Amino acid sequence: MNAGRRGFSVSFRLSGILLVIGLCVEAISLFWIHPLAFLSFFVVGGGFLGAGVLLYLSSIIFHPSSTNPNDWHAR
Amino acid sequence: MPGPLAILFVLLGTTIILLVVLQLRAPLTATPAGKILAFLAFCALPILCGFWGLNEHLERSKQTAFCLSCHIMQPYGRSLYADDPMYIPAAHSQNHRIPAEEACYTCHTDYAMYGTIRVKLHGLRHIYVQYFGTPMNPIHLYDPYNNRECLHCHAGARSFENPTHMALLDQIKTNSLSCVSSGCHDTIHNVASIDKVKIWRPQE
Repeated sequence: MNAGRRGFSVSFRLSGILLVIGLCVEAISLFWIHPLAFLSFFVVGGGFLGAGVLLYLSSIIFHPSSTNPNDWHAR
Repeated sequence: MPGPLAILFVLLGTTIILLVVLQLRAPLTATPAGKILAFLAFCALPILCGFWGLNEHLERSKQTAFCLSCHIMQPYGRSLYADDPMYIPAAHSQNHRIPAEEACYTCHTDYAMYGTIRVKLHGLRHIYVQYFGTPMNPIHLYDPYNNRECLHCHAGARSFENPTHMALLDQIKTNSLSCVSSGCHDTIHNVASIDKVKIWRPQE
């Protein structure tokens, strides 16, 4: 159970980091009108966003968390 | 009223803030309401931002400035300012027969069903060739220019329905005679000689 929660926690945090990077890349790319801006949005930003969302979805599917908030504090 | 881009930036900022808050306050996600909030922040909002951003980038890729941001396209952009009515792109752009800010896209899109998707895929090929391959020298269209793109606007127009066009209409519609063939409207971008042509400068 602890291993499962730890797995969820790591995936959760990693997916958050990936999503923040992806969203920042998207935001920066929107300041520039150039094919490279589109490429960076599509390849880099899209890659991070896709990986982040998939990691989050996999974490809630394969590592379901406890619904007790105290479990988070106990870690 | 804020434009779509401003709303997108607000959405991006909100999503980033939500993600950071949920990272710092992970126990929030243990409650049912927190789980819904986490689903929004980690899944629904990023997907929405991604598709909205993609749409924004696709709309921007229609802009003349986008096409001309590549060095190889700059002589073609210059030809839009040729001070000579025989230059077809210049005559169209300068007289606003097409939107000047989307001049390239308006004439070089594909007005067939799913044509926009097809030209966007061509655009990706342009980017690939520009950055990972060797661009054609001189560059040219992948396929012969289709009269359909001219007829999209000109068909049925009073100025188009003259005896010459009417006599050749079947050939024009079937592409067996190109609008840009020699003897018709054959002065297109002519980038090889664009440096010798007087350039029109629009008044601010």
